[in-house]
Amino acid sequence: MRAGFGGFLAYRLFRALIALWLVSTVVFVVMRLSGDPAPLLLPPDAPIAEMNRVRRELGLDRPLPVQYAVYLGNVVRGDFGRSIHFREPAMRVAFAYLPATFELGLTAFVIAALVAFPVGVFSAVRRNSLLDHAAMGFALVGQSAPTFFIGILFILILSLRLDLFPTSGRGEWRHLVLPALTLGAFAMASIARITRSAVLEVQRADYIRTARAKGVGEFVVVAKHTLKNAALPILTITGLQFGTLLGGAVVTETVFAWPGMGRLAIQSIYNRDYPVVQSTVFIAAALFIVINLVLDALYGVLDPRAREKAA
Amino acid sequence: MERHERMPETPTVETLVKAWRAGAVPRREFLRRAALLGIGAAAANTLLEREAPAQTTQKRELVVGQGGDISKFDPHYSTSANDIRVSFNTFDNLVSRHPDGKLYPGLATEWKSTAPTTWQFKIRQGVRWHNGDPFSSADAKFSLERTWDPALKTRVNTVFTTIDRVEAPDPATVLIHTKQPDPLLPARLAFYGGQIVPKKYIEAVGSDAFNAKPVGTGPVRFVSWTKDDKVVMEANPDYWGGRIDVDRVIFRSIPENAARVAALLKGEIDVMVLLTPDHFDRVNQHPTTRAVGVLYAGLYVLAVNSKVPPLNTPLVKQAMSLAVDREAIVKELWRGRGIAPNGPIARGDNHYDTTLSPLAFNPKEARERLKKAGYKGEPIYIETTSGYMANDKPMSEAIAAMWKDVGLNAVVEVLEYSVRAQKNRERTFKGVWWSDPTSTLGDPDGMMWRLLSPGGPQDYWRHPEFDELGQAARFSLDEKFRGEAYKKMTRVFLEHFPWIPVIQSYEDYGLQKYVEFTPNPNQQFEIRRFNSRMRRA
Repeated sequence: MRAGFGGFLAYRLFRALIALWLVSTVVFVVMRLSGDPAPLLLPPDAPIAEMNRVRRELGLDRPLPVQYAVYLGNVVRGDFGRSIHFREPAMRVAFAYLPATFELGLTAFVIAALVAFPVGVFSAVRRNSLLDHAAMGFALVGQSAPTFFIGILFILILSLRLDLFPTSGRGEWRHLVLPALTLGAFAMASIARITRSAVLEVQRADYIRTARAKGVGEFVVVAKHTLKNAALPILTITGLQFGTLLGGAVVTETVFAWPGMGRLAIQSIYNRDYPVVQSTVFIAAALFIVINLVLDALYGVLDPRAREKAA
Repeated sequence: MERHERMPETPTVETLVKAWRAGAVPRREFLRRAALLGIGAAAANTLLEREAPAQTTQKRELVVGQGGDISKFDPHYSTSANDIRVSFNTFDNLVSRHPDGKLYPGLATEWKSTAPTTWQFKIRQGVRWHNGDPFSSADAKFSLERTWDPALKTRVNTVFTTIDRVEAPDPATVLIHTKQPDPLLPARLAFYGGQIVPKKYIEAVGSDAFNAKPVGTGPVRFVSWTKDDKVVMEANPDYWGGRIDVDRVIFRSIPENAARVAALLKGEIDVMVLLTPDHFDRVNQHPTTRAVGVLYAGLYVLAVNSKVPPLNTPLVKQAMSLAVDREAIVKELWRGRGIAPNGPIARGDNHYDTTLSPLAFNPKEARERLKKAGYKGEPIYIETTSGYMANDKPMSEAIAAMWKDVGLNAVVEVLEYSVRAQKNRERTFKGVWWSDPTSTLGDPDGMMWRLLSPGGPQDYWRHPEFDELGQAARFSLDEKFRGEAYKKMTRVFLEHFPWIPVIQSYEDYGLQKYVEFTPNPNQQFEIRRFNSRMRRA
């Protein structure tokens, strides 16, 4: 059984590598198709010869397959090239933004999870109560309102009108509250909804009815029998949300001027700074894949059936 | 006028002012009641100004909120607006352009043309770099030569193409020899590319270390940079132009417009750049902030590909210009924060013709010229970006509607910014497109001729007389001749319309009331003793 689990992990690892290769290829193709960085680097009246010089310098004059081969070779060695914009190694630029991204992503995740789990469970247990309707109404809003809108709303009300938090930037903990709430809103909503439906699903199961029939108290029914069995879908969606929070904070970081990787990515796209875009996407993809691997491993721990299937 | 003088005597007004003073009436309510009393908005505001004393502060640091982070400190490797706001304060140029648009001494105290192709600059003595090294003419020579050194691949290597060579015969003199007479050399030295960098320091540590820890002569010196968050600079206590009025200047990067306005209203930043017209009133009417504007040294134009039919017919382009209601665009889309241009030269530039009236709006005449041109409904493409330039898409839609009104078949197509950059480089625009040329030299040569000359970035139209005059004016030291040349060129321009000028907008800034700041028209953001001060209690 140990070997089975090891083989299962090795297989997942192999798939993760393929995913990373695909991601880097897609980024390469998309960035080359979307435009040329040379005109953005030079003053608008720079002569064509100047453009060509810059393109030569960046290796953009070589045929696409050659560029791709050079690029892949470098990626394998962990070399993502030098940032065109910052004139520094691209990976180093991207890594410098990770702490801010982690700080925001983790805080948002903790807030989201702390609120969403109890609310979801409570809504399921007391379904159709006033609180259930209110919570799910909020969840619907949180999931459907654009992040941009929520962010600006928070700034206008909580910062400008009530003067509770600073409007933007990174600094002490007060700077973290609004962006973390904004970023966490979507995850909070979706985790709460999934938790509710997963708990509801399990509560209809025969063994719950059996437990109730033999007189187990309601608290134990929920805490011991229901939650353990509802954990898998909740874990899945929570893990995915965690990945999104770490890699997908572009809008929140822009609205709140938060110096994280999402903003670096979007800025680098505007600047056609290929090496940095590739680095940020690579990091985000790697984070996602690692989280998925951990989830898979956790499945194995939580659910023996997953282990057996893999073996 | 008469009413203004009588105003304080009217008892009702006095009661109102008293209520305001007691805090019983908010500002907006005050203005409304004042209006009921028949007092104009301007007069009511004057009343308020008198009643509410100018705000003061104890702050020793000035926080500037801009739309994006800087990319580099090295002034020779970037021309982006966010970067030069920092580099024009870290470094000095030999010549300095002040908010009045005129040239003043910078690191050079005086200059004159000693021969048709020679300019002599006297170098300021006793200036020190931020690291204590003395500044001399060798630094100036080094800096200029650095810009075009092919091995260094700077981003400003086309700024000084008129220069042949630079000499530094003694520590106090720089001689610049130009290939041909260059009347605008001092102006060129005042803009980007002209920042003077330290020879000894760069030669010792190399360009990368210099970029990481810049050393200049400017009013602020480098402290720290947290990418995409803030750049912290401190006042240079020994600045030759006088120590600035704050201890620190912090450049914060706040990309989202609404968030930047919120940061200003809440007092987190002291100066906000790129205040958009839709937020102007809000900032100006807020009790603690105000807005200041300066007419942009440049124009918003629809550049025209005059090679493709029907745009190769002057009559059609005249009709296109006549059909544009510029007053409406200024009023509705820019909330009055702009003026209608009268030709290809921005107001405030050298040789701007004050006798010309704003470009006319006459749909009837436009229809007639189209008839005379034999226009048969060929499509006219407006290739616009969305949100890259202020109001680009709304103006495109408004103008398309105005053109349809006179029978022009206007088609709006939206481009992604990088596609626009590519079309710009390859000169493949299909019809008309937006351009917002900056007048880098305060002179038509640095705008109209820079862009429309043969081989220039917007070379889509040629006219022998225009070309000959443009070339002659570039190399003439006779300002009277140059003035005549630009008059004649304007005449040719207004017949052929290689651009359709639409608006000269204001560059607006949001300020805390305690900040006194006079902005520069050509986006050259400089914090100096002569243009900025904090009001302190």
